[in-house]
Amino acid sequence: MNRKFGTIILDTAFRYLVPFILVFGMYVLMHGEYSPGGGFQAGALFGIAVVLGRLIQGEEAMLNISGNTAIILAGIGTFIYGFIGVLTMLFNGNFLEYGAFPLNMAEADRHALGILGIEIGVTICVMATIIAIFDALTRREEW
Amino acid sequence: MTRLLTFLAIGLMSLMLFITTSGLPMLFDPNSPAATHVSPRYIEKSREETGSPNFVTAVLADYRGYDTLGETTVIFTAGIAAVLLLRAARKHSDCLPGGDEE
Amino acid sequence: MKELSLIAVLLVLMVVTGTLALFLKDLLASIILFSAFSFFAVLIYLALGAPDVAFTEAVVGVVSTTFFIAALRRLKRGCSR
Repeated sequence: MNRKFGTIILDTAFRYLVPFILVFGMYVLMHGEYSPGGGFQAGALFGIAVVLGRLIQGEEAMLNISGNTAIILAGIGTFIYGFIGVLTMLFNGNFLEYGAFPLNMAEADRHALGILGIEIGVTICVMATIIAIFDALTRREEW
Repeated sequence: MTRLLTFLAIGLMSLMLFITTSGLPMLFDPNSPAATHVSPRYIEKSREETGSPNFVTAVLADYRGYDTLGETTVIFTAGIAAVLLLRAARKHSDCLPGGDEE
Repeated sequence: MKELSLIAVLLVLMVVTGTLALFLKDLLASIILFSAFSFFAVLIYLALGAPDVAFTEAVVGVVSTTFFIAALRRLKRGCSR
């Protein structure tokens, strides 16, 4: 699964699919408060787009994230989630209490901003985990 | 003999599960305890407290945000455990009798 | 009442698919039956009124089938007995 598949039909057809998958993943993430969606679904869709490019074009794909970078990104995604929680404690609130941000908006809008922030953290973590496991499964080992 | 005992144990366990689940409330029942004590407050107050019309995301990320933090940590730990097992199994593959040919 | 009969039919199909996936000798056929099992789970979640969970299960079913096939290629498509 590490070599190129090679045939020109697959190589041309997938170039039309990957931009739509990426745009749909970003739509599901941003509209998670209005329609069914949220962080986990968007992260899995991003992971599927990168894995598809990696299956068809091998290791020198255009949209590629290497295995070591993916593990670091997974840690960064979880860290963003915890950091937002600690950030609300610095503004004299409880842990993960979104009403404590000192912005001049209505109360409900501060909650919506906090929800968007933690969904971004969850998305990055899920995408990086899927890419890291796929890379560890299909690695060509060094003798 | 052991297959007979296995099927007997499975049948006994299924019987106990069927008898237990017949005591739960009926599906889509509006008078069950889960729909009269907890859900009305989430459904009524979620639009004005969190500003999102989708109250599934509001419950998951605002009222129960700490549980979602635990779930994200579990996903991260499972990913790292899988990568550690898969990478270590190939470095020592010359010690195993079979070995990998790819 | 119509939803309950739909859920009952889908549950019977799910049990049949899951049991058949255990008793086959070829591992690739078991993987494909497991993917069909995940698809029936998506339909049951939709019939119970949970579109978020159905969306997540559909995406996760695709990802887990990819991982199973990648793991099977390292074993060179063996038999299960």
